[in-house]
Formats: sequence, C-alpha cells, structure tokens
Amino acid sequence: MDSSLDLSRWREVPRGVAYRRWSIVSTGLRQLLRTRFFKTLLSAAWGGGFMIAVGGFVFSQSLADGGWLQNLATRMGPRAEAVFTVVTGLVAMFPDIVVHGVFTLIFWAHSFLGLWLSLLALTVVVPQLITRDRGSNALIVYLSRPLTSTDYLLGKLGIIVGVLALVWTGPLIFGWLLSMLFATDRDFIVYSFSPLLRALAFNGLSLVVLASLALGVSALGRNSRITTVVWMGLWLMMGVISTPPHAPDWFKRASFTHDLSEVRQEIFRLDSALSAAAAQLPLLDQRFVGNLAAAGKRAEATDFNGALLGLSIFVAASSFVFFRRLRPE
Amino acid sequence: MNASAPVTTPAAPSRRAADQFIIEASGLGKTYGSHCALQDVTVQVPPGTIGLLGPNGAGKSTFIKCLLNLETPTTGSAKVLGVDIRARNRASREKVGYSPELDCQIAAMAGCEYVTYCGQLSGMPFRKARQRTHEILDLVGMGQERYRLVDTYSTGMKQRVKLAQALVHDPEIVFLDEPTNGLDPSGREHILQLIGSLWKDLGISVVMCSHLLRDIERVCDRVMIIGHGRLLEHDSIAGLKSRHRRIVEIAPAAETERFQTVLTQAGFAVVKLSNGKLRVESASDSIEWVLELMRAHNLPPAEIVSNPDALHELFIKSISADHG
Repeated sequence: MDSSLDLSRWREVPRGVAYRRWSIVSTGLRQLLRTRFFKTLLSAAWGGGFMIAVGGFVFSQSLADGGWLQNLATRMGPRAEAVFTVVTGLVAMFPDIVVHGVFTLIFWAHSFLGLWLSLLALTVVVPQLITRDRGSNALIVYLSRPLTSTDYLLGKLGIIVGVLALVWTGPLIFGWLLSMLFATDRDFIVYSFSPLLRALAFNGLSLVVLASLALGVSALGRNSRITTVVWMGLWLMMGVISTPPHAPDWFKRASFTHDLSEVRQEIFRLDSALSAAAAQLPLLDQRFVGNLAAAGKRAEATDFNGALLGLSIFVAASSFVFFRRLRPE
Repeated sequence: MNASAPVTTPAAPSRRAADQFIIEASGLGKTYGSHCALQDVTVQVPPGTIGLLGPNGAGKSTFIKCLLNLETPTTGSAKVLGVDIRARNRASREKVGYSPELDCQIAAMAGCEYVTYCGQLSGMPFRKARQRTHEILDLVGMGQERYRLVDTYSTGMKQRVKLAQALVHDPEIVFLDEPTNGLDPSGREHILQLIGSLWKDLGISVVMCSHLLRDIERVCDRVMIIGHGRLLEHDSIAGLKSRHRRIVEIAPAAETERFQTVLTQAGFAVVKLSNGKLRVESASDSIEWVLELMRAHNLPPAEIVSNPDALHELFIKSISADHG
C-alpha cells in the first residue's frame, strides 16, 4: 500500500453554525425517511390532511348554487333536499357559528390523529436522537467539532420539529389550504381561520412538550431498547393508569397524554362552539339542541390549570435530564 | 475519472511558523471530585508531530479532552492554534481534528456518508465534503467497503474511518488517540506512514497518543511525557536522546566471547544479553569507535544499533522519577 498524499486542500471559510445545525437536522430526517415504517406513517398523516381538505370541500359546497351537493340532495329525495336547504340557510345566515363550529370540529378531530401519529413516530425517533449517539460514543464526534452541546441539542430538536411538521402541522395546513382553494365563499376563509390558529397553537404546545419529553427520554440511557420501553411506558402505561374516571386529579396529571387532552379542550373551545350553536341557531328539533348543549358541556376542560402544571413538570424534568446527561463519556 | 473534474495537485503545505505555538497551556488542571486527573500543565508546543506518552490513567486523554473542551478544565487556561478554548469555544475547534481511542461511529450510516457528515459538521459544503471524503478514504486505504454500514466494520476499518473523519475538513492540527489500535501489521505500517506524512507533506500538525513507543519514535519529532496528571518531559526526540546515556547494541556474526573481551579490555562496560547481543555503554552517539576496534582486532562482522529503545528507557526513567 502506498500512502501518497495526493490530496486536494480545503481552505475556504467554514460555513456558520446555522448550517452545521441544519446538517444535523437534514441528515437525521433523511435517515428516518429511508425506513418503511416512517413512509407508511407519512402516508397516513398526509391521508389525514387530505381528509381535512375533503371535509372542508364538501362543507363549502353547501353554498354552491347548483353544485354537486345540491344535485346529490335532489337525487336523494325531498327529505335530503330539505336538510340541504336548512344547512345552506344556516351557513349563509350564521357563518360565524356554523363555519367556525364545523372547522373547529374538523381540526379538533384531526388533532387526535396528528397527536397519535406524532407519538408513534417519536417511538421510532426517540432511540435515534441521543441514546444512539451515547451508546456509540458519537457524542464525541459532534462535540470535538466546532459545535457546542447547545448546537447539538438544537439539531436534535430540529429533527423532532421536522418529524412533527411532517406528520401533523404539514397535513393540517395542507388540508386547510386545499379546502380553501375550492371554497365557494370568503366566509369559509374568514371563519375557519380562528379554528386553524387554535389548532396550530395546540400543535405548537404539543411540540414543546413532546420535544422536551423525547429529548429527556432519549438522553436517559445508552440502550435503544430500554429507551423505547421507557417512552412507551410513559405514553401508554401512564395513559392507561390515569384513565379511571374517579381517579384523583393529581394522579391523572401524571399522564402527559391526559394533560394534553385537557389542554386540547381548552385551546379548541369546542364546548363554546357547540353551546353557541345550541343557543343561537334557530333549530326546531329541541332534542338536537339539547344534545348539542350536552356535548358542549362534556367538551369542557375540567382541569386545565392542573394539566398545565403537570406538563410544566414534565418539561422541566426532561430538560433537567438532557442537560445533565449531555456530556461525552 | 471525469475529464472535466478539477485536477487535484498536492498544495504546498501551509505550515505554521515554528514560533507560532499550536498548543499553549498555562496551569491547566482537571479534577474529578477528589481525584486530580491533570495538574498544573504549563506547556508551549511548536508545530510538528508530537507524541504524547504516559502510562494508563496518566492524564493523556484528559489533557486532549481539555484542549478540545470535551472536559471543562478546573484550573488554568489554554489556546489551540492561538485561539482561547474557553473564550472562543467553537472557533477553537474549527481547524482541529480528533480521532478518539474509543469507537465513535454514528450508527446506520455508510462509511463515506459518515465522513461526509463529519465534514459538514465542521462547516464544509456537501459537495466539497463528499469530494474530500473519497480522497481521504482512498488515503487511509479504504476501498469499496466505504459503501457499507459503519456498524459492520472490523476494528481496523473503524480505525481507518475514524482517522478519515478527523482529516476530512483539512485541519491544521489532529489529535490521534491510539491510532494504530486493532490494525494488522500492513495496515499499521500504512497508517504510520500516512501520519508521518501529514506534517511533512501537508503541514498538518499531529498530536499522537500511543502506548507503542516504537510508533512514537518512528513518526514523531517531539515527545511529551505525562504521569500522574503532570507534564514530566517535553522536548524533541533528539534532545531527549542526547540527555540519555548512550547505549550501543552489538550482535556479532561470530566470536561473541572475543568481542566481549576486546570491549572490556578497551574499558567499556559490557553486558551480555540473553539473546546473545552485547550491550555497551558509550561516550558518544557515534559508532565509529566500535568499527575502529573491530578493524584493529580483526573481529568478524556484527550488527550495530545505536541507542536502541532510548525512548523506552527514558519513559521508564521519567515515570520512575515521578513515583519518587
């Protein structure tokens, strides 16, 4: 073997720290996107986004005079036609209640899918964040380069943000934009915007909680299997334990999924939307009105402050773990 | 090879001037609880190939880790390539490469992907990093296995890829911790040649930590000896050898007894070793006087080695002196 040093030199000014952090994010995401599991997950997530678009589109067709929905109702008979006429009338007269309410319901339902898919994605991502680097001493590779542990953490945080953007935020915005593209009236854009912002607020808050939890769990050990078990324990076991309806509040707060559910109810304010519909819409069927009011009551957040406290403790504990453990061994 | 590809010619090494120290440490210390791993290390190291010697747990790796900010020094200060490691944390490692003793691969990555990624982490654009990666992997003697996952590599291949990741961003100084561990003899020879050429051909300073004194003696021009967390010796190899008692080892082809008698009669202290060689204390580094004696007494031919294992003896002496 000949060790000829016929080598090009690299004497350019190195790119800045933002580029180096982005390298961590893009490489991490590229690695994830290679796996079949993640591809399947993305299909499901974007399928969910497409369903938002379909739901929004169908709803918006209620105002289209001579549209396919009206034709369909006509073909289905006088009863369907009457219902269609009532809905069209309600949307036209009370867009602030009906459009706002329906989109709140759509985004509220999508938040379940988004959160569930994100938790599933993180089950795969968590062992690959810090655990794997600790197990293979790769932390040294990062920290012996012009990067600090904060840069490393921001890079790993970027991977989580990327994952959640791909499985939750992206499909949500895509679905809304697509449904608005075919909207028949400006009211659909105006009155669906507030529910969208609420959905994004819940998405953002969940991102903070899930990111710190994922980083904390990932930093706990050096063995990927143990990390996966801890993550699933925290998610599923604690979720199941806190399910009994008569369990004390402090006990329920030990489950971050329960806490997020409480926060979801408070942010989306589905209760207000349903109660407003029951109180203000001129509905003749009093049983339906009663059901709407009861559903609104059930959708109320019962322990929002406690849930926030629980989530804050989770975030603080996780941050403590990953800042403590992030030293090369 | 693509005809339009740029021709890579070995650029003239951009050496640092000898008075521009690559490492400057002042009172550098590191303690873990009550254990003092590094104690008041004050040193100024000029560019070149520097060997870092010391017994296990002496503080060699801690010294390197402190310089790289992988460990926070408890006392003192240090500069690497003239940049303060505490005041300018990131900048102090921009032109530094490090190949740690432990395996440090990133799982689920192919060899060339891993080295490219390391280049990007040092601020190299992707294309440049990929180009340098292939050149460096050729240089460290990795063929098609570069496209395999790093997790599947043998110890020797991991060692090569570690060296490649330390060199990919064209650093001005590389810290190599036991770079020949796990390599077969031909691989070891190849890597030692490469390490020796880094300073000579490219002007890249090397700080090499090894237990293999012969490796250090072969490729390094300076040596630092660390024991019990303290710097015991720091000098050029030539300087250290000149302070060492001169020894000549003679392996006569025949008539060993007559050789011994002649040397003893000439007033030299002679020890006959178990392998049949004669160990003689000499007054100078030259072996002219031995040849003179052989001519005068018509002695048979012999293999003569001046100062064998000088570094080893010096190392043992330094460590023993430190033990008190």
